[in-house]
Amino acid sequence: MNTSPVRAENLAKHFGRTKALDGCSFSLPEGSVTGLVGPNGAGKSTLLSLIAGLAKPTTGEITVHGTAVRGRMHPDVSLLTQKRPLYDQFTVRELMRAGAAMNDRWSAGRADEVLDLLAGVDKDAKVRTLSAGARTQVAIALTLGRLPKVLLLDEPLSDLDPLARDETLRIVMTDVAERGTTVLLSSHLLTDLGDVCDHLLLLDEGRVQVAGEIEEVLDDHQVVVGPAGLDLETDGVVVDSSHTSRQTTALVRGSGAPEGFQTERPDLEALVMGYLRASRTRRYARQ
Amino acid sequence: MTWIVWRQQRPVFITLVAGLAVAVVAVLVLRASMSADLVARNLVDCAAKGLEACMGPAATEFQTAWFDKMHIALATVLAAPVLIGVFVGAPLFAREFEQGTHALAFTQSVSRTRWMATKFLVAALPALVVVVVYQLVVHSWLDVAGQLGPLSTGEFYFTVFDSRGVSPVAYTLFAYTLGMFAGALFKRTLVAMTLTLGLFVVVRVVVGGVRESLITPTRLISGDVAEPAVADRGPLVVRSGYLDAKGNVIADPAPMMNCGSKADAQGVVDTAACYRENGLAQRYADVIPTDQATTLHLLEGSIFAGLAVLFVLGSVWAVRRQV
Repeated sequence: MNTSPVRAENLAKHFGRTKALDGCSFSLPEGSVTGLVGPNGAGKSTLLSLIAGLAKPTTGEITVHGTAVRGRMHPDVSLLTQKRPLYDQFTVRELMRAGAAMNDRWSAGRADEVLDLLAGVDKDAKVRTLSAGARTQVAIALTLGRLPKVLLLDEPLSDLDPLARDETLRIVMTDVAERGTTVLLSSHLLTDLGDVCDHLLLLDEGRVQVAGEIEEVLDDHQVVVGPAGLDLETDGVVVDSSHTSRQTTALVRGSGAPEGFQTERPDLEALVMGYLRASRTRRYARQ
Repeated sequence: MTWIVWRQQRPVFITLVAGLAVAVVAVLVLRASMSADLVARNLVDCAAKGLEACMGPAATEFQTAWFDKMHIALATVLAAPVLIGVFVGAPLFAREFEQGTHALAFTQSVSRTRWMATKFLVAALPALVVVVVYQLVVHSWLDVAGQLGPLSTGEFYFTVFDSRGVSPVAYTLFAYTLGMFAGALFKRTLVAMTLTLGLFVVVRVVVGGVRESLITPTRLISGDVAEPAVADRGPLVVRSGYLDAKGNVIADPAPMMNCGSKADAQGVVDTAACYRENGLAQRYADVIPTDQATTLHLLEGSIFAGLAVLFVLGSVWAVRRQV
């Protein structure tokens, strides 16, 4: 079981007093596409940079295919960082040459394929002149040129228009389908996630709130709706509840429908929204 | 990896090479024009002998025309290392951290050590070559003027000493690694540039002040107490003063030099006799002879090279701990 593509063991990362991550344990199944969600500052980017070996955990350990990650990139892993740092003064062609030079395993063909997709990126253009979408496409080409077995994508869709978003996801998913890549993908765009992800990893305040196969996670939760004023009695855990003058709506984890409430299975968006709202409520309560 | 750093540093290289080309052409033109002037004023032989041997308006006029120009050229050789430190060393890592592109390199297969080593070498080598070439070209100009030019101030005068031998290379290595370390530590190009400029000047002044104590000086003794023990401007005088009859250094000879009242009938003071009467037996000078200049260059250079090694280790540490 130690050969899981990515496995985190009691992982923590502290920046001074701030606990970006605390006590995270999970493992990603081979070939899964996992959506990494959570409110801003939940530790998503920190987690991805720890897996990539860009930062060292304060405590705990990450293993990639059974090998511990210590301060450098595992050859099987590829990371698309949120800020898309690229050598701005290079042309796209030069940047791809740089990718080839910096990697032991590199497929120029794969990188070119990615660049030629969609409208195609002009390979003689300076990187700094590219649009946000083309820049992301170039960054993805660099990421996939490494022929990763584990692909980490930090907000791959954030600065793209809906069409480019759809097409970018298609580039990534084609790679996953062809090569069986394991993907961990952070995003705020829940509808997009729902289309491509089969697993969910929900972080809040540096801790794992939910981890597992999306269908199972959804089965394990229910949205209950009942008249206002009625007590919410359940064996499960009330993740989040909201009240209007007429009715009470709640997201409940675990079984046991409370009496007098209508229950239904949540969709991914409702589930994640419930957790995000609960997180915000907790933070306000502390202030 | 070499190609990547070369491509990244290309604007810097172009600036360096263009700057060097302009400077070399300027120096060679000045050198040719000065050579012609030497011939025209019939001073070619004087260049070897010095101003004292060639008293006359021609030599003085020649110096008025050329001396300061050559000194300015020497000053540019002194400035070259800190320019390299500020404009090549300081941005080397700081700019990557500012723009986040270090993460691009760190997310590929290349190790951080190899990334650092390649950046260090590929950026440093051309800078060092530029400094050395410029140093040699400027000195080829100064050699033409010989003792009529700044070289007459002696091997140890700071503009001459600091621009000769291994010194410019040592200063450049120091400035470059200082800039690199400051950039790796503070991750801000402007901060690193400012620190490099400030620290370079401070360390150069401090080391320049104490470097003469790196060599045990040779003591020159003169029996003539009225004349200094060293006459010419060649050796570096570390200390000088008077010895008593037993050969001990007299700490404060000032009271024993009070000979104003010893004037004879004509009002002439026999200073030497008066000094001897007061107990000043000999004059001495502790000097570093001219032929030890190379040793001093190497000793001072090794201090700066040692600091450079520390800065390299510091940079490695700073980059490795970087997220």
